Amino acid sequence: MSAAFRKVTGVVAALSLGLASSLAAADWKPSQPIEFIVTAGAGGGTDNFARTIQSIVTKYKLIDQPIVVLNKGGGSGAEGFQYGKGPAGDAHKVTFATNNEYLLPLIAKLSWKGDDFTPVAGMAVDEFILWVNGKSEYRTAKAYIDAAKAKPDTFKMGGSQSKDTDQTLTSEISAATGARFLYVPYKSGGEAAVQLAGGHIDSNTNNPSESIGQWKGGLVKPLCVFSAKRLAQGPKITETMAWSDIPTCAESGIPIEQYQQPRTVWLPKGAPADAVAYYVGVLEKVRATPEWKEYIERSAQTDRFLTGAELKNFIASDEQKARKVFQQEGWLIQ
Amino acid sequence: MGNFESLWHGFSVALTTYHVLLMITGVLLGILVGVLPGLGAPNGVTLLLPLTFGMNPVAAIILLTSMYWGALFGGSTTSILFNIPGEPSSVATTFDGYPMARQGKAAHALTLAFLSAAFGALVGVILITLLSTWAANFALRFGSPEYFAVYFLAFASFVGLGGAAPLKTLVSMGLGLAFAAVGMDTISGSLRLTFGLDTLVSGISFLVAVIGLFGIGELLISMEEGLRFDGIKARISPRAVFEAIRSMPRHWVALLRGSSIGCWMGITPGGPTAASFMSYGLARRFSKRGKNFGNGEPEGIISPETADHAAGTSAMLPMLALGVPGSATSAVMLGGLMIWGLNPGPTLFTDRPDFVWGLIASMYIANIVAVVLVLSTVPIFASILRVPFAIIGPMIVVVCFIGAYTVSASQPDLLLVVLFGIMGYAFKKLDYPIAPMVLAMVLGDKAEDAFRQSMIMSKGSLAIFWSNGLAATLTALGLLLLCWPAIAATWRRARNGKRPMGAVENRGSNGGERQEVA
Amino acid sequence: MTRFAAEVATALVTLALGLAIVVGAREYGTGWAAGGPEPGTFPFYVGLLVTAASAGNLLLAWRKRHAGIVFVNAVQLRRIAAFGLPILGFVALALTLGFYVATAIYLAAVMRFQGGFRWSACIAVALCTSAFFFLVLEVWFRVPLLKGPLEAILGYR
Repeated sequence: MSAAFRKVTGVVAALSLGLASSLAAADWKPSQPIEFIVTAGAGGGTDNFARTIQSIVTKYKLIDQPIVVLNKGGGSGAEGFQYGKGPAGDAHKVTFATNNEYLLPLIAKLSWKGDDFTPVAGMAVDEFILWVNGKSEYRTAKAYIDAAKAKPDTFKMGGSQSKDTDQTLTSEISAATGARFLYVPYKSGGEAAVQLAGGHIDSNTNNPSESIGQWKGGLVKPLCVFSAKRLAQGPKITETMAWSDIPTCAESGIPIEQYQQPRTVWLPKGAPADAVAYYVGVLEKVRATPEWKEYIERSAQTDRFLTGAELKNFIASDEQKARKVFQQEGWLIQ
Repeated sequence: MGNFESLWHGFSVALTTYHVLLMITGVLLGILVGVLPGLGAPNGVTLLLPLTFGMNPVAAIILLTSMYWGALFGGSTTSILFNIPGEPSSVATTFDGYPMARQGKAAHALTLAFLSAAFGALVGVILITLLSTWAANFALRFGSPEYFAVYFLAFASFVGLGGAAPLKTLVSMGLGLAFAAVGMDTISGSLRLTFGLDTLVSGISFLVAVIGLFGIGELLISMEEGLRFDGIKARISPRAVFEAIRSMPRHWVALLRGSSIGCWMGITPGGPTAASFMSYGLARRFSKRGKNFGNGEPEGIISPETADHAAGTSAMLPMLALGVPGSATSAVMLGGLMIWGLNPGPTLFTDRPDFVWGLIASMYIANIVAVVLVLSTVPIFASILRVPFAIIGPMIVVVCFIGAYTVSASQPDLLLVVLFGIMGYAFKKLDYPIAPMVLAMVLGDKAEDAFRQSMIMSKGSLAIFWSNGLAATLTALGLLLLCWPAIAATWRRARNGKRPMGAVENRGSNGGERQEVA
Repeated sequence: MTRFAAEVATALVTLALGLAIVVGAREYGTGWAAGGPEPGTFPFYVGLLVTAASAGNLLLAWRKRHAGIVFVNAVQLRRIAAFGLPILGFVALALTLGFYVATAIYLAAVMRFQGGFRWSACIAVALCTSAFFFLVLEVWFRVPLLKGPLEAILGYR
């Protein structure tokens, strides 16, 4: 017992901030097993996100109750939200998602709305990269976009799902540059990655973790990252390049300042404030572990912890931006 | 041969007492989750995943893959004993496995299934060992048009034109296609055919439908006939197992055909379920014993089982070499690889040879471990049939409903099972074939996606299915198979002058009336 | 019940399903747009196919209406009811009292009233089965099933 215990206390002590907030939140404690609801199928980005947190929480015994992870990815995650939303105020149901929590209800008629949930935290933001086939003649984003502009509606842009983040980004690229693509939706980013590796599509906008394997093997190559500044320095992925060697899209001629997808955690509407504080405390401790840092680095996400008012502002502005694109494309439901 | 050296090295990594113990644990757990319908391999692997976070990657993947093999074996057990497929890919095993068990030859059927499954798996591993690079590159050649052609081929090989009651086949198939379309549409992102019902948003689960159609439907039929299980009086002795082992070499054609179809469908990601149906369909059509299919014909068990496991095994290859999951289970394992700090992809073979070849070697060993373990369970499982029906009947009912509930923890699914049960009963009594509906539910949605992706690429031109050699060959083969019964009938009529067409088309539909679609 | 009646009933149900599919698919456009078929196209034609084939089946059944084949006789009907009604009861219990309690009650009742076993045997088998599922699913694999008031008292939910 003592070894594990010392490890836990070590982590907690190292993190005075986490300790303080967990003391403040001591009024609410889980009284029964907690359900982690993953609004995506097994193996995807959201699934890895939730399971990494689960493994850290279990390893450092951050929650006294057992955790049950449920994959409910049906209907682009709608199934998970339907399950996770209720009954209102039930703080033993924790839902893991992206921005689909507030964007999905805009484009599909569903039995839940964005405000059926209380936001707990944004744990990280995932980046988007413009990828082309490894043997592609295009070396820069500018060259690729110019070629696409010369022949509108011939270049095939793949992505995960329809009217989701990838297609939204594709539509933003078109609006910003005037290049028009044929958008081909696949079931997952992984599928889009393989289709690009096989040369069946010309490009995609996968998250870094979805294409890292193919990049290492030279099957695909990155042109630019949709981020305000370059990605964090890390080990070299290929012989010559690390994540930080990928130029930003803004510096390579696509005037899109930033496009990111948050990794979010939610409770049902009406969850007590001290329950929210309890989970924020737990997640802060999760963030302080080496395992979490490794997860962020390996998946080349950007570490960004958002809670409270900051999180609400982020959500509001993200939703507004997306709504504008949805409006233009005519995706909003009446 | 560099691969042989690597494999030898892999054996030295995989063959330790600790790893073999892990294999045994994994296989036994796998059999357990495989036997419970609804729980299944993907769930089992997901549940074990957190346990592996602290293990080294080789040990972790050995535990998970062993569980996968165990679950594949376990899935066939309930198909044969109770007509309830524990896994989607063992649906085709029910067609002949269950009739055989009802004839009192449950032990024989189980042994045949397990041995042919092991044979298929071994062929799959050998393929991975010898042709890993080539196969991975081949898999990359499949884009949407080729996918569609593969699904079309799988469909055509099972459901041909003609048959005993063509209109009923159409109804069954059409309903299956419609059920598959319910829920979120990948291509347009809109919800289809949900009629405003929350429970339909996530679609109609294939497993829920199958549990109702096969499990509950079959129970209703056997109750009505006043039957207890016919197996009650059958003596179950280890001899039945050995006799079945001895009979295996006789079925070499079915074994080879099944495993080549399986390997093919595993690499071109058609998946184990499509592979087992395709193998069954082709065997029924081209085997000399085709007319016995549906009545407990050994080849009707061997064909789907070899294909299922060959596909399940060779589906690991795209996962390792390309980072494409070939099945739901390998999607979970792929997540595991990332958590253990490995990057699946073309460089995995060179970056982490210990891991890759240790895994491949463990596939040989674990499958042998699995078949030994699972064969030793045959007498136990077969003796379940000797339990009085008043106990085992309700237990099957309970297992069916628990299985259906665990699929997605949804209460309305329990009512769906009841509805599908009634449908299964009515359809079976009125000679509506159920198999086309099941196959349509498996392939319909994927085929539609692939078709519409192709149409986006070609801007609406069907010529894309003939645009390259691979797609054109597959499409042509599919068309040929679809028309095969008609071609064969014309050919025979031309030869024997006045044989009526019905005589040819009706084969495979006597007695059991299970799949009169040939 | 005659086979004719059963054929007609089944064909009417599939006909209704087919029409429902057609109506449901109409909502999403059923044409062939520039990017290939619209979302409703495929279900729409599948629905039409089911409707037409069901109509055909009705016609075929009508032609054989005087064949007088029996679909289920009274004895069979009683057997099915004896087996099927407890299933419905089990589902109702599972939805209200949870799976484990429902399993125990259902097993014990069927064994007692249909199998004619002694009460002691029935209860033993029922409780053991329930406990086995509880251990495997709830404790071991952490797959939560529906639970009711009893589990709530025991601290599970």
